[in-house]
Amino acid sequence: MPPSLEFEGVRRDFGRLQVLRGVSARVASGQLLTVLGANGSGKSTLLRCLAGLLRPRAGRIDYREDGPPLDAEDRRRQVGYVAPDLALYDELTASANRRFFARLRGVGSERGGELLELLEVPPQRPFGLLSSGMRQRVRFAWALLHRPALLLLDEPFQNLDRPGVERVRELLVAHLSTGLAVLASPTPLDLPLPEHALVHLELSR
Amino acid sequence: MPSSTSSFLAETAAVFAKDWRCELRTRAGLNAVGLFAVSTLCVVGLGLGPLGVASSERQAVLPALLWLILLFAASAGLPRAFAHEEETHTATALRLAANPAAVFCGKLLHAGTLLLGIELLVVPLFIAMVQLPVVSPATLVAALAAGGYGLAAGSTLVAAIVSQARGKGTLFAVLAFPILIPLLLLAVELSRAAVAGAPAEGVLQQILLYDGTVTVAGLMLFPAVWNP
Repeated sequence: MPPSLEFEGVRRDFGRLQVLRGVSARVASGQLLTVLGANGSGKSTLLRCLAGLLRPRAGRIDYREDGPPLDAEDRRRQVGYVAPDLALYDELTASANRRFFARLRGVGSERGGELLELLEVPPQRPFGLLSSGMRQRVRFAWALLHRPALLLLDEPFQNLDRPGVERVRELLVAHLSTGLAVLASPTPLDLPLPEHALVHLELSR
Repeated sequence: MPSSTSSFLAETAAVFAKDWRCELRTRAGLNAVGLFAVSTLCVVGLGLGPLGVASSERQAVLPALLWLILLFAASAGLPRAFAHEEETHTATALRLAANPAAVFCGKLLHAGTLLLGIELLVVPLFIAMVQLPVVSPATLVAALAAGGYGLAAGSTLVAAIVSQARGKGTLFAVLAFPILIPLLLLAVELSRAAVAGAPAEGVLQQILLYDGTVTVAGLMLFPAVWNP
């Protein structure tokens, strides 16, 4: 059974601040859900809820790969997640970070090596000494390390130069041949995808 | 089941190795721990000297001072176990990639080996500086091993709880006090027995019971604390 994601009536607040007010959408395998909205409209909060990093106050999130819906803990371990505030270990090189997370994920470290090479990241430079664009490339390699079926991308092209954007687009298109993705961005993006592969959701403050 | 067990062990070993690799790169924690250990050791050792405590009181006072030095040194390094991950935003990557129990066990192993290092540095110097006669070295080793593990486990548990809170330093002290004091009293008692050569199986059993309880409590509580 191909992976699918459906969420309905997802609500989340932070004290008195109501951020998500009953958000719903459905994405099938091979599709990309683009979540558009101004700053502060709740795009990142929605992605964190989908990743299992935040608990919604109400609503239902149904993500399944080849069986019953995964609970928040299983979703956390399965999804690939890229976000501006996601950091790896500054003290470790890109390569050492890759080896560490490959061991945690139970995958061979050669996969991470291929991704770093594809994204042209200097493997022996500590994460803390990489430029912001290179860090973003490492985040992508990190998110794709375990070949997740669901990719959650929060402003994925932030700080990337033109070659970086091209590489990431290629990886995203390749990912959608078997999986699905949710991409949050404050502005519409020009993505090389057919219309039937795109699902749109607009959030407002 | 065997594959999930081996995966758990591999994740634990990965977190442990990563913590030590990061520690050795920056040495921030090691330097703080070493500084605290050596400075408190010097204050106590040079302040008392071999004749600073009346011989009738040596057996009662010196083991307590030894555990105070160990507590101060550990306090400089152990509370940072989880707070550093939150402050540098690496906790999110760790949450997404690792089993919470494996994270706890990896951090506990790191804290335990750090404390073992502190003990290896401090205890021989302390014994030499204050000329503490130890009648039963095996009992002292048992006290240091069981008490040191308990100190590491209790500190790791409290560090995990306070990592999600504001005012981490103050909260650590407030929470650590009731959790660590019973252990320290038992460890001092067992160390006194080692110095005097008195039997102390009962005290050792109580420390081991404490160690087991704190470890199980940590494994049970940590996923609830760590996960959103």
